[in-house]
Amino acid sequence: MPSDTREMRDEPPPFLGTWRRAYAALVIYLALLITLCYLFTRAFS
Amino acid sequence: MRPLDWVVLVGSLTSIIAYGLYRGRGSNTVDRYLLAGKSMPWYAMALSIMATQASAITFISTTGQSYADGMRFVQFYFGLPLAMVVLSATAVPIFHRAKVYTAYEYLENRFDAKTRALASLIFLAQRGLSVGLTFYAPAIVLSVIFGWPDRLTTLIIGMTVVVYTVTGGIRTITWNDVQQMAIILLGLVVALIMVFVLLPRQVSFLDALHLAGSAGKLNAVTTHFDWNDRYNLWSGLIGGMFLALSYFGCDQSQVQRYLTGKSIAQSKLSLLFTAAAKIPMQFFILFIGAMVFVFYIFEPAPLVFQKAEYQRIRAPQLSARYDPIAARYRDAQTRRKDAAFALVAARHSRDARAEEESVARYRKAQQDVDAARRDAAHLVEATGGQKGFRDTNYIFLSFVTRYLPAGIVGLVIAVILAATMSSSSGEINSLATVSVVDLYKRHFRKQASDHHYLNASRVATAFWGAYAVAFAGFGNHLGSLIEAVNIVGSLFYGSLLGVFTLAFFFPSVSGTGAFLGMLAGEAAIFTTFLFTGISFLWYNVIGCVVVIATGLVISYLRPQTAASHPVRS
Repeated sequence: MPSDTREMRDEPPPFLGTWRRAYAALVIYLALLITLCYLFTRAFS
Repeated sequence: MRPLDWVVLVGSLTSIIAYGLYRGRGSNTVDRYLLAGKSMPWYAMALSIMATQASAITFISTTGQSYADGMRFVQFYFGLPLAMVVLSATAVPIFHRAKVYTAYEYLENRFDAKTRALASLIFLAQRGLSVGLTFYAPAIVLSVIFGWPDRLTTLIIGMTVVVYTVTGGIRTITWNDVQQMAIILLGLVVALIMVFVLLPRQVSFLDALHLAGSAGKLNAVTTHFDWNDRYNLWSGLIGGMFLALSYFGCDQSQVQRYLTGKSIAQSKLSLLFTAAAKIPMQFFILFIGAMVFVFYIFEPAPLVFQKAEYQRIRAPQLSARYDPIAARYRDAQTRRKDAAFALVAARHSRDARAEEESVARYRKAQQDVDAARRDAAHLVEATGGQKGFRDTNYIFLSFVTRYLPAGIVGLVIAVILAATMSSSSGEINSLATVSVVDLYKRHFRKQASDHHYLNASRVATAFWGAYAVAFAGFGNHLGSLIEAVNIVGSLFYGSLLGVFTLAFFFPSVSGTGAFLGMLAGEAAIFTTFLFTGISFLWYNVIGCVVVIATGLVISYLRPQTAASHPVRS
């Protein structure tokens, strides 16, 4: 098994400019999903 | 199955496997065979990660879980996006820059050989147990439909998987997964549409939601905190996050997916996409189960969905015990159906008082239906059936085979078989990778040609395939399959998560501290499992905390010397 000599690049994400912003967007999306699930539960229980 | 079902089933599976083998050609070095030459785009990795996680169990068992227990299982996935953020920021760049084939290889760079070996063995034990269950799930499908013996079915599926996994390596597996996800999404949408088409004409979409909700099946979020409650918001966010951290950060079957990325950014994107898509997908699958529940309000559902056990307890010699339960069940079903129609009529006429009255009758009837089903399950147990008998794994399939039209049945069965093949191929491939890279090459044959290790990888793949088929024979003793898989994983993941946390965030911790920490973590998890009623979602938290605490204490008491510190790559 030859050793790996490839350089691994870490580019910015294709949206929102930085990874920090992309992570924040995902956390906000999660909060939105949980809120929607909560409202869904309340609406039909 | 009708001829059209066979055409759809065979056509779907053949095209998936052929396409995967076509895309996987040229996997003639270890690097290409195990890591696809680090050439995969983010969308293929993301779909592969999702497909590997979404096995046949997801469709068979999750829908049944929702039918019986409501949609609260979706909370299990609430911690996943948080875990993906942590992993994208830490594990992905660390593993990529370390240029490793396996996650455990990194542990030797950071700690020592014994820590790597122990982590590898824990992974092999845990994933080796789970892969058998992955095979067992479709065996249920075919035993329900054709009456084939579970073991023969498992053998046939297993051999197919082994052949294409041995031949094409991870590139074939990944592209198979992409195809599989397309078929899965198509199958899910078609199944949900068919449930609505089969509902009585006067029951609208909103009526169906109210009927499911009034019976407690749309309980997607429960906010009360209880250590012993498996699924609530807090266990999902905290316990689910730890489980997802362990699964996607320390389980080679997932790590190997994003190690195939052509760049760190591509691997990160694949995890973020998975995080965004997973909760809606699970919600959708659980919603199908809730709608199947609504369908069975208006159609006579069997008292027990597992055909063989149902027939057994209806035998004349058990009639004295079975008949009263069956009579109560029929009566409760009739009352529930009448109350449901009354509820729908009251909603349409906006008669609040009639609605309130019919909801009360409907809920009482539902309680009686549930009680009769519980008594039937106890009767199965008391008359020689398996202990802890549950029929949740059979509910969705019974619906599919009995009510869906020709062609759609074949499509759903294709979804389930394709999901099995894809999940198990990924698991077998990762088991083989760890066996060869972390054990065989590290401890038994350190210097050999690339061709030798390629052949060793193929032999290991075949071995783990055979092992999985043999272990699948124990699947029928494990109750709800989706829970069984997660419980087995939780027994081991906490320790792995703990040792990787030590590796990433605690530079002062020694190899001995990490090694003993893992042993202490496993001891804590098994003690919790055997002697307490704490929900399995918390095992990862407990195991991880014990590993970190033990590792820190040992390293403080016995600090590593420069001579004992391993060389880092």
